[in-house]
Amino acid sequence: MAAKTNTNGIIEQARSEGRSVLSEVEAKQLLASAGIPVVEAKLAATADEAIAMASEFGYPVALKIVSEQITHKSDVGGVELNIGDEESVRAAFDRITSAGKKADAAAKIDGVSVQRMAEPGVEVITGMTMDAQFGPVLMFGLGGVLVEVLKDVAFRVVPITARDANQMVHEIQGFPILEGHRGQEPSDVAALEELLVQLSDFIEAHPDVAELDLNPVFAYPKGAVAVDARIVLSDQS
Amino acid sequence: MSDLTANLARTLNPKTVVVVGDKRMNGYMWLRNMQHFTGSVYSVQVDPNEIPGIEEMGVTNFTSLADVPGDVDYVLCAVPRQIAPRIIAACVEKGVSGVALFTSGFAETGEEEGAALQSELGKIARDGDLALIGPNCMGVYNAKLGVRQSGEQPTGEAGPVGFISQSGTHAINFSLTGAAQGVRISTSISMGNAEVLDVPDYVDYLAADPDTKVIAMYVEGTKDGRRLLESLKRASQNKPVVVWKGGVTEAGARATASHTASLASSTAIWDAVVRQAGAIATESLDDTIDVLKALLFCKPASGRRVGLMAMTGGQSVVITDAFERAGQKVPRLTEGSYKKLAEFFNIIGGSYQNPLDMGGTIGFGGQSDHLQRLLDILEEDDNVDAIAMELASGFLARRWQADPSSLDTLLDLLVKHRERSTKPFLTTLHPGHLEEIAAQARAKVVERELPVFHSFERAARALSRATDHWLREL
Repeated sequence: MAAKTNTNGIIEQARSEGRSVLSEVEAKQLLASAGIPVVEAKLAATADEAIAMASEFGYPVALKIVSEQITHKSDVGGVELNIGDEESVRAAFDRITSAGKKADAAAKIDGVSVQRMAEPGVEVITGMTMDAQFGPVLMFGLGGVLVEVLKDVAFRVVPITARDANQMVHEIQGFPILEGHRGQEPSDVAALEELLVQLSDFIEAHPDVAELDLNPVFAYPKGAVAVDARIVLSDQS
Repeated sequence: MSDLTANLARTLNPKTVVVVGDKRMNGYMWLRNMQHFTGSVYSVQVDPNEIPGIEEMGVTNFTSLADVPGDVDYVLCAVPRQIAPRIIAACVEKGVSGVALFTSGFAETGEEEGAALQSELGKIARDGDLALIGPNCMGVYNAKLGVRQSGEQPTGEAGPVGFISQSGTHAINFSLTGAAQGVRISTSISMGNAEVLDVPDYVDYLAADPDTKVIAMYVEGTKDGRRLLESLKRASQNKPVVVWKGGVTEAGARATASHTASLASSTAIWDAVVRQAGAIATESLDDTIDVLKALLFCKPASGRRVGLMAMTGGQSVVITDAFERAGQKVPRLTEGSYKKLAEFFNIIGGSYQNPLDMGGTIGFGGQSDHLQRLLDILEEDDNVDAIAMELASGFLARRWQADPSSLDTLLDLLVKHRERSTKPFLTTLHPGHLEEIAAQARAKVVERELPVFHSFERAARALSRATDHWLREL
C-alpha cells in the first residue's frame, strides 16, 4: 500500500493540466491514501525505470500503458501481464509504448505503469456514478463477463451504512460464488463490505470525483484488493 | 419551511374549503366532491352563467376570494391557466393555508409558456408560504373530513393508509379499488407537477399523522432524490412505506466508458433507494394493494415458513409452487403435528405433508370442527411462521350462494382463529367461473378484516414482501 502522500495535489495537478481523467497510478495513490487496499502502481517513463520498479515490487509484474487519450488499454495492446524478468520488462515496455503510438499517433504517452501481479482471487467490481436524481451512487457486483452480460449488480446511494454494504454484497444473484462455490474457499465478505463503506467515505470526502471504477477487485479468503482503478473528475464549474 | 409545513397540515385538515372556478360543464364536480365535507364550503365564481347552478346546490358563491368570511384552509382551484397566477396571489393575500391547483397546461406540456406560468405561480406561493399542491392534480382526499378527489370516494371514518400520487388517476383508482378490498385511506394527496411541495413533504406529513398507519405512494420521479431518500428512511423507522414506482425509463445510452454508469439504470437505482430506505417496492396498483392487505390485516411473521391449506390435490401442488416461487419456505411439520393429524385426517383423496390437502377432511366446508383442529395444529407447529388457506373452489361458491349462512359460519371460525393466532393468516378466493358469487363472498371476507387474495401467486408475493418488511434490519 502506498504511503500517505500529497493526495490533494493529485487532483490539483490534473486540474492544472486540464485533465479530467486520472491515470491509474494517480487514482490508486488517491485511493490508497484513504486506506483503500489497491495494488500499488508506479509510473515508469523509461524501460530502465520500469525494470527498477519491477525489482522493487518483485516479479512477476504487470505493465500497462499510461496515456490520457487511451481508455481501453488492453484493446490497443497496452497491457502485458505476468512478466517474469528484466529482459521481458524491457521488451514489454517497448511493445506497449509503440503499440500505443500505433493506435493513436496523436496520443501523449506518459510511460507505463508497473505493478506486481496480484494473486488471483474472485473477481468483483465496484464503482460510483452520478445519478441525476440521487447524486453519487455506489455499485457492487461480480466482475468479468458476468457484470456486463447479467447486470448482476447492487446499488446504494452514497453515503452508505454498514447495513447497506452488507445488503449490497448479499443481494447479488452471484453471492454463492463469494460463499465458496464447489469447495472453493469462501471470500472475505467482511473485507468487501468494509471496502464499500471506505469507498462511500472516500466519495463523500472527494466531491470532485464524478466517476469511479475499481475493476477488478480481487476478493481473497482473507482481504480484498483493487487491481485496477479509474477515476474521472467532474467538469470544473 | 416550518410555516409551509404548518400550512400543509391545515390544508390537509381543513375547516373551510373554497372551490374557485367550478363549472357546469364539469358537472360542478369539485363542489359535488365536497358534499360530505364536515366544514364550510364556499364557491368563488365570477361568470354570471355559472353562479345560478352553484347556488342551486345550496353553496354560497362570492365573486372575489377576499369576500369569503373567515379563515380559508383549502382552496381547490380550477381556473384557466392564464388566470392561475392571479388566483394564487389572491390566496396569499387572503392568508389561505393551501391550494390544490386542478388546472393543467403547465410544465407537463413541455412548452415554454406552461413552464413559465408554473414557475411564476410557484414563486408567488413560495414567497407567501402557501402550501401549493400541484398544479395539474386532483387535490386532497381526507376520508374523515369528507374532502374528496372524486365523488365516489367513501367518507366517514379515517382508514389507515396515507397515499401520495404523482397521478390523479392512480390516486382515485387506488382509493376506490383499495376500499373495495378493505384497504382504506386516511389522507391521499394527488401531487401533480409538485412545483412547491414534493414527495418528501407529503411523506413527512404522513409519517407524523396519527391516523396513518402505513404510507404508500405512486411516484415517477422527484426533484431532490436525496431529500426523498432521507424522508423515506425517517418514515419507515415507524411505519411501513410502500413505493410503487411508475415510468421505468432509462436515462438513455450514456456516452461513457464507466462500467458503473452503464449499469446504473433508473430502475436499478430506484430499487436500491427503496431498499436503502427500508421501504417496500411494488410494481402495480394490484401489487400495492396486495402488500398493504398483508401489512394491515396480518400479524407480523417471524420467519418465512408457511403452513398451506388447500381444498384439493391439484391446488395443494400449485399453492406450494406459488409460495416457494415467491421466496417463502414450505417445510415439513413437526412430528407432534403429524401425530395429531393422523388421529383424524382423511387420507382417502387427501394428504397432510404440508400442504394440507384438506377438502375431504373438512368435508368441503361442512366439518368446521376439523377445520378448527387443522388451524390449531398449524398455529402450534414450531416449523410454521405463517398460514395461508384456500377458501374455496367453484362448487363451494355455489353452495354459499344457496346457503349464505354457511359462509358466515366459516368466517366466524376464521375470525376467531385470527384473534387467537400470533401468526399471519391469509386466504385466497379465486375468480373462477362464478366470479359474481366469488366477488360477493370476497366482500364478506373483507368486511371481517381478513386478508383475501385473488390468487395463490398474489397472496404469496404479498406475504413475501410483507415478511421482508417484518424481518428487515433497521
